[in-house]
Amino acid sequence: MGFFLQLLFSGVGIGAVYALVALGFVLIFRATSVVNFAQGEFSMVAAYLMVVFAVDLGWPYWLAFLISIAGMALLGAIFNLTVYYPLRNRTFLPVLISTIGASIFLSNSVLALYGPQPQVLPGWLDTLGFQLGPVYLDSQYLIIIGVTLALVAFQYWLFERTLIGKKLQATSQDKEMATLLGIPVAAMIMVTFVYSAVLGGIAGILVAPALFVSIQMGSTIALKAFAATIIGGFGDVAGAILGGFAIGVIETFGAAYISVPFKDAFAFLALILFLIVRPQGIFGERVAEKA
Amino acid sequence: MSRRSAIGQLLYTLAAAALVALAATVKTDGYVANVLMQAATYAIAVFGLSIVLGLCGQINLAQAAFFALGAYSVALGTVDYHMPFWLCLVGGMGLAFAAGAGLGLTTLRLGGHYLAMVTISFQQILTVVLINAIRFTHGPDGVSSIPRPTGFTSGQAFLALVVAILAISGYLVWRLADTRLGRAMRAVRDNELAASANGIDVFRTKLIAFALAALLGGLGGGLFAGGFSYISPDQFAFADSIVLMTMALLGGAGSPIGSAIGTGLLILIPEWLRFLKSVPGLYLAVYGLAVILIVVFMPDGIWGYVSKLFRAPGRAPSKPPEPLALRPLDSGTPTALEVRGLSKNFGGLKAVDGVDLQVRRGGVHALIGPNGSGKTTMLNVVTGLYRATAGAIFVDGVDVTTLPAHKRTVAGLARTFQNIRLFRSMTALENVVVGAERDGNALIEGGRDALWRRALSALDFVGLGHRANETIPSFSYGHQRLIEIARALAANPTVLLLDEPAAGLNLSEKKSLHGLLGRIAAQGLTILLIDHDMTLIAGAARHVTVLNFGRRIADGETAEVLRQPDVAAAYLGVSNDAA
Amino acid sequence: MSLNRRSVNIGLAASLVAPVFSRAARAADTIKIGMVLPVTGPAADVGRYALTGAKLALARVNKSGGVLGRPLELITEDDQTTNPGAVLAFSKLAAQPDIVAFLGSVRSTQNHAMANDILKTGKPVCFGGTDPKLTKMGNPWFIRFRPNDTYSARVIASYGIETLGKKTWTLVHSTDAFGTSANNLLAAAIEKLGAKVVIDQGYPNQSQDFTPVVLAIKSSGADVMGSYMTFENDQAIFARQLRQLGVSIPWVGSPTTVATATLKLAGPALWGTYAVADFAVDSSPEAKEFAKLYSAVSKAPPDLQSAWPYDAIGVLSAAINKAGSTDPGKIRDTILSTKGYKGAEGEYNFDQFGDGLHGYNIVRNNKGTIVFDKHIEFKD
Repeated sequence: MGFFLQLLFSGVGIGAVYALVALGFVLIFRATSVVNFAQGEFSMVAAYLMVVFAVDLGWPYWLAFLISIAGMALLGAIFNLTVYYPLRNRTFLPVLISTIGASIFLSNSVLALYGPQPQVLPGWLDTLGFQLGPVYLDSQYLIIIGVTLALVAFQYWLFERTLIGKKLQATSQDKEMATLLGIPVAAMIMVTFVYSAVLGGIAGILVAPALFVSIQMGSTIALKAFAATIIGGFGDVAGAILGGFAIGVIETFGAAYISVPFKDAFAFLALILFLIVRPQGIFGERVAEKA
Repeated sequence: MSRRSAIGQLLYTLAAAALVALAATVKTDGYVANVLMQAATYAIAVFGLSIVLGLCGQINLAQAAFFALGAYSVALGTVDYHMPFWLCLVGGMGLAFAAGAGLGLTTLRLGGHYLAMVTISFQQILTVVLINAIRFTHGPDGVSSIPRPTGFTSGQAFLALVVAILAISGYLVWRLADTRLGRAMRAVRDNELAASANGIDVFRTKLIAFALAALLGGLGGGLFAGGFSYISPDQFAFADSIVLMTMALLGGAGSPIGSAIGTGLLILIPEWLRFLKSVPGLYLAVYGLAVILIVVFMPDGIWGYVSKLFRAPGRAPSKPPEPLALRPLDSGTPTALEVRGLSKNFGGLKAVDGVDLQVRRGGVHALIGPNGSGKTTMLNVVTGLYRATAGAIFVDGVDVTTLPAHKRTVAGLARTFQNIRLFRSMTALENVVVGAERDGNALIEGGRDALWRRALSALDFVGLGHRANETIPSFSYGHQRLIEIARALAANPTVLLLDEPAAGLNLSEKKSLHGLLGRIAAQGLTILLIDHDMTLIAGAARHVTVLNFGRRIADGETAEVLRQPDVAAAYLGVSNDAA
Repeated sequence: MSLNRRSVNIGLAASLVAPVFSRAARAADTIKIGMVLPVTGPAADVGRYALTGAKLALARVNKSGGVLGRPLELITEDDQTTNPGAVLAFSKLAAQPDIVAFLGSVRSTQNHAMANDILKTGKPVCFGGTDPKLTKMGNPWFIRFRPNDTYSARVIASYGIETLGKKTWTLVHSTDAFGTSANNLLAAAIEKLGAKVVIDQGYPNQSQDFTPVVLAIKSSGADVMGSYMTFENDQAIFARQLRQLGVSIPWVGSPTTVATATLKLAGPALWGTYAVADFAVDSSPEAKEFAKLYSAVSKAPPDLQSAWPYDAIGVLSAAINKAGSTDPGKIRDTILSTKGYKGAEGEYNFDQFGDGLHGYNIVRNNKGTIVFDKHIEFKD
């Protein structure tokens, strides 16, 4: 039983990481129909920023955090202007490729500036974790799960209860109509990219103490987060969260009970199965094209 | 047009022969030979991408996986099972083809991002299997000492072989664009709905494109294995699929020349940039930036950009066209199109609610009603874009209710769209050819010549024959509308459905349209017309059906119906001005 | 952007021709050694260490008169950490006729990929990959400067069973080429010494979470663990989760266990572990001297990545000087007859296959400091 619970905690923990990254993914997708292949790199860049400010320069953790998040907001804005905006009227494929280019550019720029060695980022708490019955609870993972749930709640409040949230939703559902209603669509999209970059950054900073800071840390997570958004339903925020947790758990249990070396295959197998059986995901709705 | 392409083909053959001769005779050092070998085998895989992505517009992020299937078939087949090289190569191609088809069958209906994700997943799963199924694949150690086929064992000879195969596959891919299948792919890429409405089986076309791309990927991979004699799983990962995709986009996905350029550049650029090697990550960062810039500034890739600069404006065809023959089917039933109790629900919304419609043979029948009354929905159900919730549809007495859209053209339906749906990358004539080459078109028997002649005739019928070789963006909105009509006519339909043909036309264009409708009707075709222009309706249509809120509220001769009070209340307004 | 066909074509032509010109411009009076190394790609840091070690040896050789009276020069090419990249890098170097010998890769799959071109070139290639097959393939030009994995496996087994006295093993290994083949050798060595493997766990690189592996180990009843792990971050996460879940059996691991990067990431989680290390600072006076030279030019402590290229250049120069010629066959024969060469990695006694080292050091992580324990050598 302890075995099972420990696996469950690990699965939920890593699932929360996927869910956080997936959240940023889904937001950009809903607003712009763009699949952002560079979402993982947002997490990576933020983690490196933290290393620079909190470790190399030795500034207080909270200050380094704020500055890193501010840096991510700036990156999100620049990303919007250079990668998405010039291509906003084209089909999804050029934008997809453009984000791939951005992903290569970001990871190699960090490599050129910082070097290839993985780095250590200390966690928020001093205690590494504690034992609860048969289960060891890694404190960083507890923080990750907690923050993910808090952000989901915040997101819900933002989108459903505030005016700007409604405007963001309107923009994502029908850009033309939103424009006609006086919503500044370009500004809304900018907000979306900035917020997504910040979300990705928070994910990276949370995950780094557990998984270390390395150039590839973003891409490994992002692909699984991508799968999570599809399983959850590509357009849906709640679905992305659920999908993230689902993949974390499937992967962990698959590794434990079936085969560890094939662990990476399980997430993608689950994805293909979902696409065959229920392509709209757990929550998503398919929208028909107007003839 | 055919003379130019004949010259082009001759030039290609000469150039290809020259390249092969060069490869076979010029002695190069090992480095150059290796670069060329890698470029040539990758280029074949990228040709595959130019079919599925360039021609058909479908994304495939698993090309490295198909490359791997070909490579491993050759490697394991020759090394472990001692089978001859050629057998393994063909086997690998077959395996890749089957995998591509299988993958396509499961998810091509979804398209877009879903397809991207499935291909990525397939790629990831294959990588994991290649690494872990050690007893079968040799696992991460890879397979070494892969032999080459007899007669081609020297590096030079094998390179010449690869270049020859490259030239042949390039030629086939190049010519594909001008075949019926190639046109179907381009139509699907440009406008799926219009392709479907013009008789193209969209799903089957995408599937074939996908499988062909996989086939070429497998061919490239098999030759790669023979060329480098050693393969391991880490050479066929997701990152490599991205590289292949970038090669296609960089050069220009639409043509094999573009693919070759893109491949060449992306293999050579890292070699050029070796001088940046002192700072790790620098040249890949530059590469990433370059990808973004190419996508933004040169969306059609380098070759697309270059060929547009050098494209000659379409010349008018030299031979005068024949008059257009229109012979609609006539089985003797009084109604060309009949609809009984048709309903279409979207969730809780009843867009069309139990509508009956009889369109008499010959002449123009109009379908009118306020916005949202269900006219276009009804048209879409009749043509098969939507599936009816209830009811039946008969074209010339044949029940077409459950037929997919592309099969309804065989039954005799043809349509135009409210938002013009032409294939923008093609010329006016090519657009019309797509319409003409629908299955079962009796008037194009006699082969390729008959097809193109008929298309020209149809274009001439609407008055645009002299501009047949210009591409769509150079036509005005009104003329584009006419080309759409020509495309529909070329299919020799029994019933022609026009969805708001007058929308966006100025007064003189509307007058021409009126005349055109008359000439079409005079040939015995039946026309069902949706429009809001009451002058046009009153002038052209003999019968009118009125819809409101999805239900039929009036039906009969035009003048009478337009006088009815509930029609006026629903649609025309209190005074009798044109809407 | 006025890119046109003409400029593209000129560029393409120039790229193919450029190497010819760059070759002609080089100085003609040095003895050249070609080096294939990762400058870009995931192993870029390894490449930096290797270059530092090679350059140290170069400086040393040139300070004592060079080779055959001429200075030694190193020509490098980036292999991009990929197999095709290694082939291209090697063939580019091989195209220069005045390179007398090469330093190959520390990754065995890359050496395999280059093997054909190496055979064709017919010049000695000193490499650091540990796949035993590389020297048994019948390719006479491969000369190995690290002990191959048959030795690391036998040393791990011997230390765990004979020195630590533990007989119930759990094995953990990465599923890549290195991890899988070395793990098989270890399992065989354990069996040969009469002990048992109760659980054998492979994991994919960049796993991020090792809970399933750790739980399996915990419930297996093993009293000693052997591991072959490729990446430092995997090793560090595994070590941490191992300790969190309360596993503290003795652990004898592959060289990554004591790599600088792993130690930094894992911290206390790896205290008390043992590792096989081909390079250990305190294993010999030569190793100490190398460490001193290395610390003068780099803040990072030296490890195997820099030690084997250092030794390779040393042995090569000595062999060329002894042979009195740059003829490839003569260089090879001289190297293979070299016995008792004391390098930073250990004492080289070359056998007929090209393997120079036949044993490994066992080191221990003593609260963060790596302490030399013993050296286990095999005669065969």
